[in-house]
Amino acid sequence: MKNLVFIFLLVSQVFLAQNSFEKGNALYQKGNYEEAIAAYESILNSKKESAELYFNLANCYYKLNKVAPAIYNYEKALVLNPKDSEILNNLLFAHKMTIDEIKVVPKVGFAKLLRDFTGIFHYDTWAWITVSFAGLFLLFFIGYYFSQLTLSKRIFFIGMFVLVFLILMSTLAALFEKSHDTNERPAIVFAEIAQVKSEPKSSSSDVFVLHEGAKVYLHESIENWVKIELTDGSEGWIESNNVKSVK
Amino acid sequence: MNTKKKILSTAMKKYLILFLISFHGLWAQVQFEAKVSKNTLGLNERLRIDFTMNADGDNFSPPLFEGFRIIAGPSQQVSQSWVNGRSSFNKSYSYFLLPTQKGALIIKQAAVEINGQIYKTNPIKINVTAAVPQPRDPNEEPQISANDAIHLVAEISKGNPYVNEPITVVYKLYFSYNIGITNWRELNKPKYNDFWSQNIDIKQLVAEEGKYNGEKYRCVVLRKTVLYPQKSGKLEIEPLSLDIDVQVPTNRRNFFGQVQVVQDNKRVSAGSKTITVKPLPETGKPIDFSGAVGRFNFSVTPSKTSLKNGESLDLKVVASGTGNLKLFTLPKPVVPNSLEMYDAVHNEKVNTPLSGMNGQISDSYTIIPQFKGKYPIKPMTFTYFDLSLGKYKTITSPEIVINVLDGPTTENATVASNTGITKMKVNAGEQFRFIKLKTTLAAFHKKDFLGSTLFYILTFLPLLIIPIIVLLKKKKEAIDGDVAGNKIKLSNKLAKKFLSEAKQQIQNKELFYIALEKAMHNFLKAKLKIETSDMSKDIIQEILLSRNVKSEAVNNFIDLTKNCEFARYAPSSSVAIQQDFDKAVSIISELEKQIS
Repeated sequence: MKNLVFIFLLVSQVFLAQNSFEKGNALYQKGNYEEAIAAYESILNSKKESAELYFNLANCYYKLNKVAPAIYNYEKALVLNPKDSEILNNLLFAHKMTIDEIKVVPKVGFAKLLRDFTGIFHYDTWAWITVSFAGLFLLFFIGYYFSQLTLSKRIFFIGMFVLVFLILMSTLAALFEKSHDTNERPAIVFAEIAQVKSEPKSSSSDVFVLHEGAKVYLHESIENWVKIELTDGSEGWIESNNVKSVK
Repeated sequence: MNTKKKILSTAMKKYLILFLISFHGLWAQVQFEAKVSKNTLGLNERLRIDFTMNADGDNFSPPLFEGFRIIAGPSQQVSQSWVNGRSSFNKSYSYFLLPTQKGALIIKQAAVEINGQIYKTNPIKINVTAAVPQPRDPNEEPQISANDAIHLVAEISKGNPYVNEPITVVYKLYFSYNIGITNWRELNKPKYNDFWSQNIDIKQLVAEEGKYNGEKYRCVVLRKTVLYPQKSGKLEIEPLSLDIDVQVPTNRRNFFGQVQVVQDNKRVSAGSKTITVKPLPETGKPIDFSGAVGRFNFSVTPSKTSLKNGESLDLKVVASGTGNLKLFTLPKPVVPNSLEMYDAVHNEKVNTPLSGMNGQISDSYTIIPQFKGKYPIKPMTFTYFDLSLGKYKTITSPEIVINVLDGPTTENATVASNTGITKMKVNAGEQFRFIKLKTTLAAFHKKDFLGSTLFYILTFLPLLIIPIIVLLKKKKEAIDGDVAGNKIKLSNKLAKKFLSEAKQQIQNKELFYIALEKAMHNFLKAKLKIETSDMSKDIIQEILLSRNVKSEAVNNFIDLTKNCEFARYAPSSSVAIQQDFDKAVSIISELEKQIS
């Protein structure tokens, strides 16, 4: 009985959240963006999320000309669904509203090749790939162990070695991707104007100035200062309440 | 020389004295020097310079007195005296000089010819400072009674203004009714250091009535200046000095009984004034305060807000009102990087009356959008210090959204132009996409599968299964290899198979023994492949013995079959039944082993 009640609650919550999503969509359609935001936010408050939800929320902020929240939510949507063309497209529109022009210095070399490869899948997907390779390895072993023909025995034996290699590779890819995921902490500047200092002190000299909507990558932090890096490679310290971490 | 005299003999003395006297003039040292009454003097003070010599000279040539005006001189003075039989001679040329400019002035050498030789004085350095208030010295210009008749006054509108608050300095010349002014010259134009100043031209001097120290005077406004102090603290306004030609009445009267006037020259100076400038209050001072003080209106107006590609728009930032319009800069609009904004064209329309600057200043920016889209121009804030309220006031312009209706949307969005790598192009005709209508919501922070227990179990399970498989297979092989054990197992199994019916009837004595007998017969039939008709005990015994079965086992078998027939009709306990069953099992197993 208890379980039933629990399941009912869960279902009703999902149903309510879904309902708020549709309500938000209807409000957006009418051009009532403020209320649409409130509807979408209520879903987030019930600890539910999806790429589409963040995308719709970002669209609302874009329509209200709020640069920083728009870009922030597009980035959040991209975390959940990194290859969605619509999100990327609208993010470009939002980028046009930003003040700063930050160049993207493309990464080159082996690290870039490696990242391109491991970035094909999410690290959890890589984990599942590892698991399935392990299962395949077992099957190959059985095949090798019980087959009577020399040829098939050979094939299974070689296959086992190939699979050991594949398991190692996918595990390493998963770990690499995971460490990349934890180390790469994008954040969006929310303050209208934020000074970036050379040292984590307010008396220190300004290195450059960022405006709202600029994307930065967070590094280490001390007290209320956090070290940031831009896509063009320049670094500095910023007060941590000026930025909001995407992850 | 004195020692020399003492050495000489008294006989010679007479002649020598005569000799010395006759050449006294030659023997005495010639001196020619310039003496000044003072080395430092104010602009409105006089300087007396004497060139004195102790021998009569000719061809005196005075220096040029650059930077001075000679007001009296040269006056020549000669004095010769005999004291105790010694003569002294003195001749001097005197000049009275009035400086015409401030600073360090040098009076150059004067030259004179004495006894055919040219002597020169040393140059003298004179330091002329700003005009100083003059002590009323009755000896200075004893014949003029006009000292009290002319006054120059600087009127300052406010003694302690804020920084950038306009103040005015009005120089007024008061002069009494009984003197006339024929001309005036500015000797020293005051420099207003640390002030922004603007002179207000006075086209025609108009004399008005005024009062000075309670007496009636005529009054002329000579000069009006608007000043904006540029820094806080005590600032000095330098005095203005005037050289005025006046007509002063004398006590003499002319033939017709009219008062005779004399031309005279008088210097007046308005004393230097110090004003204390207050800094603008720090409380409530915004960081981006540009220094505007006064009362302003502020507006930001675009020439249009929706436009086509290739068109430009003008964004005009205007501040108008009263205050230090020329002394601050207007805030610069902040626009998205994809709008091309050119440098501002600055325009000033400012009048400066005595009340301070008023009018408007504007910055006009030309903006050319590059791509289609919506571009917000951030609200601009302009802060000024309101003097009447003594507070800062901030005007914020509304946000302006520029809508570019068409045109290419192509853009290297994350701009990497110099690298030549085009990233994530937005194709022409791309639109801002509508929201997504379907979603699958998931809870926050799904647990990572990687690193979870399930992941480890699933990964290492196959590896654990491998030894199990190997072990199982090994065991099977071992079992297959054990022949004897296998046979026992097989025969037991057979016996059990044949005896299963008997076991079912273990409670029913009669049926049990029938089943048991039948089972044993069936066993033999299956094992020995003999016909049912031949099932006599002798034949069985014979066949079994021929098949290398030990006689003991054969006898056991025969006994058991006999027992079966017998027990069917005899009373027997359930214990006996069980014993017979076990016996049957062992016999069948034994036979199974032994039959080859």
